Amino acid sequence: MRREGSAFSGLGVVMLKELSDHLTSVRMRVLEWLVVLVALAALYGAVQQIEDTTAQDPFLFLRLFTTSRDPLPSFVSFISFLVPLMAIGLGFDAVNGEYNRRTLSRILAQPIYRDALLFGKFLAGLVTLAISLITLWLIVIGLGLLLIGVPPGGEEIGRSFLFLFVTIVYAGVWLTLALLFSVLFRSPATAALVTLGVWLFLMFIWPVLAGAVAQIIAPPDPRYLALGLQTPATAVTEQILARLSPSTLFAEVVVALLDPTTRSLGPIYLSQLQGAVLGAPLPIGESMLIAWPQTVGMIASAILVFVVGYVIFQRQEVRA
Amino acid sequence: MRYRFVAALAAIAALLAPAARADQAPKGVKGLYLLSDYPAVTLRPGETSSVSLRLQNYDMAPERLGLAVSGVPSGWKVTLMGGGQPVAAAMPATNSSVSLDLHLDVPKSAAIGTRTFTVTASDNSTKLELPIAVTLAKELPAKLTVTPQLPELRGNLRASFSYTLDIKNDSGKKLIVGLAAQTPQNFDASFTQQYDSQELNAVPIDAGQTKDVKLKVTPPNTASAGRYKVVARVSAEGASATADLTLDITGQPRLDVSGREGLVSTRAVAGKQTSVPVVITNTGTAPADDVELDGSAPSGWKISFNPKAIDRIAPNAHKEVQALITPTDKAIAGDYVTTIRASSRGESASTTFRVTVTTSTLWGIAGVGIIGVALLVMVGAVARFGRR
Repeated sequence: MRREGSAFSGLGVVMLKELSDHLTSVRMRVLEWLVVLVALAALYGAVQQIEDTTAQDPFLFLRLFTTSRDPLPSFVSFISFLVPLMAIGLGFDAVNGEYNRRTLSRILAQPIYRDALLFGKFLAGLVTLAISLITLWLIVIGLGLLLIGVPPGGEEIGRSFLFLFVTIVYAGVWLTLALLFSVLFRSPATAALVTLGVWLFLMFIWPVLAGAVAQIIAPPDPRYLALGLQTPATAVTEQILARLSPSTLFAEVVVALLDPTTRSLGPIYLSQLQGAVLGAPLPIGESMLIAWPQTVGMIASAILVFVVGYVIFQRQEVRA
Repeated sequence: MRYRFVAALAAIAALLAPAARADQAPKGVKGLYLLSDYPAVTLRPGETSSVSLRLQNYDMAPERLGLAVSGVPSGWKVTLMGGGQPVAAAMPATNSSVSLDLHLDVPKSAAIGTRTFTVTASDNSTKLELPIAVTLAKELPAKLTVTPQLPELRGNLRASFSYTLDIKNDSGKKLIVGLAAQTPQNFDASFTQQYDSQELNAVPIDAGQTKDVKLKVTPPNTASAGRYKVVARVSAEGASATADLTLDITGQPRLDVSGREGLVSTRAVAGKQTSVPVVITNTGTAPADDVELDGSAPSGWKISFNPKAIDRIAPNAHKEVQALITPTDKAIAGDYVTTIRASSRGESASTTFRVTVTTSTLWGIAGVGIIGVALLVMVGAVARFGRR
């Protein structure tokens, strides 16, 4: 049963077609407008706040992303909230939509492998997200230049570029999850609901649950409680559990990248801070090193989720 | 005080014995006298002066005495004053005296030399004469002496050098004595009174009196070790005196710790030893011996030096050592402060180095490996499950 030719023949065709479908779909347009408007609002709030309060900051430009002004959350919070929504919106009916329209067997009748179909759909979704995120990033940089009037330094550009990259990776995680469920469930509505459920769970419920579960796994030491401190073992367990959620990973990476004074993402003992110059910014390479495990976690989990979806899709009956 | 008291007692005893005899007339002295403390004085032409006289009556009945001055050189004005006005007669009571002032007004043109004139007090029976000699000199020599109590002082640069000078006015009148000190360049000298911080330029000294004045000399920071001469000069109205003073500045090593080319920051990897060049400079004026190096850093860090100590650093010389800094394994990335100290017998200096700790990139490579494994899984899945 050896296959003839590359598994990826026809990948380009599928990708371009999917891309053009995405970019012209009403769904995408609505999502885009939502993201752009919300991001602009957050940016406006950030600029107002910066003009009001910040006197001097070597990383003024990065504050555009992280500063919030009540009642709006910061640009980064909006992104971490809306990017999964966009990815799920693009991916929840990728495979089962074709199946329900009875076009899947027609496509596969062409000289296109199932591999290429799934890869093409994933890549098209990712490229669509990347295009919109890059556009958004450029809008932020441009408006920042206009509204603040301070040109960003090389390191700031580097850091915000890494932030863009990580955001695309983050979108990829949710896209693969949506693809997985679109393979698993025949009904797009079920797939959408389940994906959104998983997103809600991982984004809002899991961080709270992680604390409770950690207290069961590693009960707090009463000696620490008496001092009003968190037990180190409990804190570590809670963090490990919370990191199962991609949104936690993304939030940690963003903190490390956009706040150069971040030295560590885990709990730190006071002895490790002895003699440390607090508030001194880390070089960009060190911030990358701090954020790297989380980034690796996101990339690897995206690949693994994709592999699971791929394996299931390969073994599926595609004839309607 | 006490002596006076004893003298008074003796006087009273003396009085009581011969049944309240009159005043303190010395025994065996009786009569009228015309007296002066200084019947010969020295003056400058054009000067006005006065000679005090006294008409004393011992054990005689009061008597009116007419006063006159004779033999006055032409052009001089000589007036006898009593009680503030010119007088022509005096009448001392028994055992009492009358004070008189002989007012002298010497013209500018008067010739140098000694003139004598006579003051006469006379009545019908008595005639008292007192010759007064006035010597005219071109200038009355003002004379000052200055004596340092401790003329040689020794100390290091940070010490203050205070000399006490006794200034004596040996001339016959009050002088305003100007004070000055001649010091090596950049030395600072100031005169004060003994227990006063007010600086002085001049001090008034009464005739024949001595005053203590303090001269404080502050050497500049840059002065090298050695002996320095300071000349204290006092002067008034053409008279002057000097005192030679000596400052013996002993050298003092002064250390300065810095990085090579002034760079006091370095990078280090957590858990790995890194070496930082440390330059120790002796900016003082004496050699620094047995310079020991020491460092303090966050807990768990190790700091050692190669070499551990320096035998000797000459003044204005520097030596370089390597500080070997090992951050703890558990150090998180970022900047830390370490202090490096050099000490040599009480003289010490320190400076802070900023160490930027970077963490090992090993875990970064491990992350790449994890992604590689995930990609391998995918390739395996494609190979295993790929359909024709």
